[in-house]
Amino acid sequence: MSASRTNFYLDKQNRKWLGVCAGIADYTGVDATWVRVGAVLLTLMGGFPWTLIAYWMAAWFAKPKPIGLYEDAEDAKFWQGVRQSPARTTRDVRSRFRDIDRRLADVELYYTSRNSALANEIERLR
Amino acid sequence: MEDLMPAIAIVAIFIGMPWIILHYITQWKKAGSITREDENLLDELHDTARRLDERLNSIERIITADNPHWKQTELPPPPSITRLENRR
Repeated sequence: MSASRTNFYLDKQNRKWLGVCAGIADYTGVDATWVRVGAVLLTLMGGFPWTLIAYWMAAWFAKPKPIGLYEDAEDAKFWQGVRQSPARTTRDVRSRFRDIDRRLADVELYYTSRNSALANEIERLR
Repeated sequence: MEDLMPAIAIVAIFIGMPWIILHYITQWKKAGSITREDENLLDELHDTARRLDERLNSIERIITADNPHWKQTELPPPPSITRLENRR
């Protein structure tokens, strides 16, 4: 059984400290720099012990991201979309299937109509 | 009644509040995430859509090489038919 792609993981490959901020960035799709800036600002603006405690808790409980979890960057983006809103991603996939159906109908129409035109021509030549 | 107030407060803070918080956390997790089966299904559908898309792209490329105007409704007659007409 492969690893779930909807879990939160520590991103050890792009980490600055323990990989929690990079993991949040990977989970949500927000740039890692903004997550780190936000975390530091939150710490400076009165959240001092609590953000650090939350950071350590996250680093303690979350597993590091398995290597090769995503096939490519497009796959990673797809799963970020799934984590944000599964319903929207499902609608996207459905619209892709509809697009494929429409294009395939074009191909079918081309071949059937051309063959019928050819058949009419042959019929007229007889 | 005065004696009971601290006991009620302690029960409310240490049992009532965590109960409510945990209840809403579990509800929120249930609503926001998808099950393992759904995840696999979505992965498979996404993969199928991508492969179908690639195949359709190559098919459309082949047809375009054959006849560049194939997507228009008014199709120019294929060359074989024009030749037949000219001969007549």
